[in-house]
Amino acid sequence: MIKIPSSILREIYDHMEASYPHECCGLMVGTIERSGEGQRVVHAARRCRNLNTDRAHDRYDLDPMCWMKTEREFEGTPWSIIGIYHSHPDHPSRASQTDTDAALGAGMLDYSYVIVSVQKGKVASAQSWILNESEKKFYEESLVVVDEEGDRP
Amino acid sequence: MTVTVKIPTPLRPVTGGLGELKVDGATVGDVLRQLDAQYAGFADRVFDANGVKRFVNVYVNEDNIRDKKNMETELKAGDTISILPSIAGGRCPRLS
Repeated sequence: MIKIPSSILREIYDHMEASYPHECCGLMVGTIERSGEGQRVVHAARRCRNLNTDRAHDRYDLDPMCWMKTEREFEGTPWSIIGIYHSHPDHPSRASQTDTDAALGAGMLDYSYVIVSVQKGKVASAQSWILNESEKKFYEESLVVVDEEGDRP
Repeated sequence: MTVTVKIPTPLRPVTGGLGELKVDGATVGDVLRQLDAQYAGFADRVFDANGVKRFVNVYVNEDNIRDKKNMETELKAGDTISILPSIAGGRCPRLS
């Protein structure tokens, strides 16, 4: 399960709607509980550039400098990069074969991949996925939107 | 000469959880090969006979070594090498 505060999810959605019809991407920073259910909680999001300008309508390449800067920004804190978000303009929020192959290539195990479908410029759905290396596929994890008072019913 | 190598979180299981290492070497290739000798499985994740793997980026300070001399990129004392995952994907059905 990944918990994302509604205000941070709104920031992510704003990024995606402003980037439409292009794909956009960014990083989610937070904590992963190492016991129990391994619950993930997002505490911040950082927008990154999509370096794939030739095919920005259906591809993204996250600026590696964004990863570097975000890691350094949170060094020495309890928070670290726990996931990546990106949009699928006019396409479902399922992980594509492209997403799977790229994540396997980069060894992105134990990271949440939040994928958001943006239909005609507006967010339509969001799902979160985690890579299973041995099966070479993404499995969906629960995405729970929370607010200051706690979990949303 | 001694340089600092920054290890990204996805690679830290290979380095025993360490995020920063001090290594001696004259080129990026020297440093990466030394790390492979020290940490089993390092090369499998980072480089092969053709150089740095497709989904990995290696920077010396602010420069991607693909824009320099790749594994032969020379180092100066005090340089920082950052190994970074190449995060990509998208809605298109196949990587190209």
